[in-house]
Amino acid sequence: MNCRSEVLEVTVEARQVEEAMLALLHTILLHRSTGKFHYKKEGTYSIGTVGTQDIDCDFIDFTFVRVSSEELDRAIRKAVSEFKDALSSDGMGQISLEFYQKKKSRWPFSDECIPWEVWSIKVNMVNLANEQERQICREKVGEKLGEKVINVVEVINRHEYLPKMPTQSEVGNVFDTSLKDVQPYLYKITYQITDSLGTSVSTTMRRLIKDTLAL
Amino acid sequence: MSTVLKIQMSNAHMISSDALKFLLNIHYVYNLHQKNGFTCMLLGEIFELVQLLFVVGFTVFLANCVDYDVLFANKFVNHTDSSKVTLPDAILPMDVCSAHIQDNAFVIFVLIISGVFWLHRLVKFLYNVCCYWEIRSFYINALKMTMSELPYATWQEVQARIIEIQKEHQICIHKKELTELDIYHRILRFKNYMVAMVNKSLLPVRFRLPVLGDCVFYTRGLKYNFELIFFWGPGSLFENEWSLKPEYKRGGNRLELADRLASRILWIGVANLLLCPVILVWQILYAFFSYTEVIKREPGSLGARCWSLYGRCYLRHFNELDHELMSRLSKGYKAASKYMNCFLSPLLTVVAKNVAFFAGSLLAVLIALTIYDEDVLAVEHVLSSITLLGVCITVCRSFIPDKHMVFCPEQLLRVILAHIHYMPDHWQGNAHRYETRDQFSQLFQYKAVFILEELLSPVVTPIILIFCLRRKSLEIIDFFRNFTVEVVGVGDTCSFAQMDIRQHGHPAWMSEGKTEASIYQQAEDGKTELSLMHFAITNPHWQPPRETTHFISQLKERVQREAAGSAPDTHPLSLSESEPRSLVANIMADPSTLASVHFACDSSLTNNAASGISSGATALRSLSPISSSLHLRGSLSAAHRASGFTGRTMAGSGTDARTVSSGSSAWEGQLTSLVLSEYASTEMSIHALYMHELHKQQSRGDLSRHTWHRQESDESSDSIPDEVRSEPNAHSRNFPRSHTFPTTLTNPVIGSGSAGTAMSQEEAKAQSSSQRRHSGPAEDHFGSGGKSVRTARLPMGGWAEDGKASSRHHEPLQEETSEDELPPHIHKVT
Repeated sequence: MNCRSEVLEVTVEARQVEEAMLALLHTILLHRSTGKFHYKKEGTYSIGTVGTQDIDCDFIDFTFVRVSSEELDRAIRKAVSEFKDALSSDGMGQISLEFYQKKKSRWPFSDECIPWEVWSIKVNMVNLANEQERQICREKVGEKLGEKVINVVEVINRHEYLPKMPTQSEVGNVFDTSLKDVQPYLYKITYQITDSLGTSVSTTMRRLIKDTLAL
Repeated sequence: MSTVLKIQMSNAHMISSDALKFLLNIHYVYNLHQKNGFTCMLLGEIFELVQLLFVVGFTVFLANCVDYDVLFANKFVNHTDSSKVTLPDAILPMDVCSAHIQDNAFVIFVLIISGVFWLHRLVKFLYNVCCYWEIRSFYINALKMTMSELPYATWQEVQARIIEIQKEHQICIHKKELTELDIYHRILRFKNYMVAMVNKSLLPVRFRLPVLGDCVFYTRGLKYNFELIFFWGPGSLFENEWSLKPEYKRGGNRLELADRLASRILWIGVANLLLCPVILVWQILYAFFSYTEVIKREPGSLGARCWSLYGRCYLRHFNELDHELMSRLSKGYKAASKYMNCFLSPLLTVVAKNVAFFAGSLLAVLIALTIYDEDVLAVEHVLSSITLLGVCITVCRSFIPDKHMVFCPEQLLRVILAHIHYMPDHWQGNAHRYETRDQFSQLFQYKAVFILEELLSPVVTPIILIFCLRRKSLEIIDFFRNFTVEVVGVGDTCSFAQMDIRQHGHPAWMSEGKTEASIYQQAEDGKTELSLMHFAITNPHWQPPRETTHFISQLKERVQREAAGSAPDTHPLSLSESEPRSLVANIMADPSTLASVHFACDSSLTNNAASGISSGATALRSLSPISSSLHLRGSLSAAHRASGFTGRTMAGSGTDARTVSSGSSAWEGQLTSLVLSEYASTEMSIHALYMHELHKQQSRGDLSRHTWHRQESDESSDSIPDEVRSEPNAHSRNFPRSHTFPTTLTNPVIGSGSAGTAMSQEEAKAQSSSQRRHSGPAEDHFGSGGKSVRTARLPMGGWAEDGKASSRHHEPLQEETSEDELPPHIHKVT
């Protein structure tokens, strides 16, 4: 509840899924990453530089900008390809990018993740009959992605809540410090596949048991 | 480019990550406040757990390990040293005891069930302790309140601090400022739904039974089941604590969803049926252990009354916190029980008098004999018959009316109304009727009946669930779809709780011309309007949307003008019936005197408050002629106040000054907020009375549109033309009259003739706009199975900061929505 959520929706062909997802996720992460922090004395720090890189898509008429960090790219590619594999040929799915803050807890409990912004990208897959349609689709998806990128930038440009800049000891609670060259806000990528409407009996039962156990 | 930046060194980050989560748990914050801090809460919960263990353990012990033959002296124990029977003699040895238990399958069954139940409670308790520990640190770190001062801080103060830290740390990330309404919405999300459902008679709690007639059955067990089904049970309508599942927001497959809900209700009903013996045993044991002691101590308590669970739901405003409701109802308790005592059946009285006489004489003889020689007590059953006779007399006495009581139900009902704020239309003027009394007793039942219903509940609940609630599943689905709005930063709330006159106002309750609601959307009994007034009065800082502000100020102005205009005429009759009047006077006198005392010593109260009180006094005077003593007192305190005022300059507007005062020293703030809350409840009483009065005059001549209980649904009531409703003459309509004193009617010509004409102009305007209302498409869709399509109206604007409202309206950036589905009827409110 206490977190912004933004929904993007795209309709693509099967082979475009990967690139479209990469384009959107990278666009968002570009704006949610900073250079590495170098802490100086008490309470001051400097921010390292971040390089950017233009990426051309193969199956879409589109070029996007991403942070030039191989590590980050690898992580996202991995998540996206998992999503792509899970997605059936004309199903629907949703991949979401969630930014969160960590809250340290005492021993018996694991750390809590408190999300503050969630981007959900809904994907509709279509099957196209012939090459001509593919050609049209290639252009159309490119245009649509361009619009989405502008949307993303608009949302990010609003002056809304962002976590406060942390001190050195707490930087790990706000930023992902595991990467060498860039420091995005803590994020995680999840996806879910909606094959058909309504859930089957077994999943309902499983949910029921899970809900009961979870108080 | 590498710049050096500075971090604000503080524990800001810690608080902010705490706070993000804290907002989800704001009801814990409220609960912790209501339970007077962490330690009290902890102790209370621990004792509850121990109590559970004790109840089970002690019962098993009594059933299996006591040799009753020894206790009843049917069997003799041979002691070597003395002939006295001691308690340990009656207790069986351990091995015999455990053998007893092991033989008895039922006992083992009960033990296992209660063991599981207890473990469940224990886990929940541990979880709660962790939660509350965090909330405690939130109180200490962020709100800067220690646990020891918590019991002495009012909720309004806590709330003010929460709003304060929002400005600093932005605990709610969606908006810059948190309003009181947001906080209330979060705490009362589900309660508001329940209140709305009771208000729209959606829940099957009223039944027409062959012998008992019209009756209400609503127990804690039933309520628990309702909440389980709707809000938090597995597979409920809500996916988490703050949002309705998306499929329930779309009208597309409502039939399918209704089927699913119906089958869920069936399953839960069956589960209830299966668990019925266990719950029944539990209820009986629990009732036995918690009430026997009370009954023994004061047998009269069974004859005492309490507000029923249904009454609490019916009388609750939207957005009213528990403690506010409780204090309101407690204030009305005295008058209510007095009212109920007016209706003792004369037949019963005669019988009771005689039974009491005979029982009394027997008791007197027994007591006299005992005093003479206490060996009488040793005779078998003498002690028990003394106890029984005592109980019998106490019960009988409750049926014998007080000799000095005066039968004046109409007045009493008015006093009750001043506190409970809601009452069906047909009660007024019929207060002396038995039907009214019967219906009131549904809200205000005997404690004994309450206990009995609780005991019956495990048996009746599954029946209600399976046979009554299941049939309503479609209506329930429609209700949740139609009356859920998504408020940014709050989540899904009941749209009634927005208290928007335009969407849910009722034309017969002063929102004529302002409301655009169809009959399906109107809240009954003026709930929207009264709730709005209540909320605005209890939270003076709250800034409602513009239209609503207009409504509030208009009403306040009217009340004030009535008060100022009507000459304070003291009627000669008014002295004779001083009893109810003095109650009315009490409402008035207490806070005003309190306030005036406060004024004398401290200059932090505001002219707003003062004028409110005096206007309150005069308004009450105009509602029912009040004895001159009150008038005197009122004017005295007014004079007092005036002198207080001239001595200083007023700084700031009325509402601002309140913050100043509450922010000063703790003690002073305490006093002020107490006085203010006292004052607020008085002001609310006056407004409630006034609104009821106005409503009655407005709807006179109108066929009573809504009855005490609306039948299944309200297709039939759609057809009343508005013209009938509004054909009043300006004077009689504006002047609130007292029914019992029709003579005052002759001189109501009101000091303000100009006010009268102004009113009539307003009326004309209202009328014309009310006709416009009919041309709207809002009412077409009602009728087909209760399905109502809301017209695409703009959501209330200006809820947050004016200008930015549209920009922060965060739409999903979606394209191609499938056309075959109905659009979700969810308004986004920024």
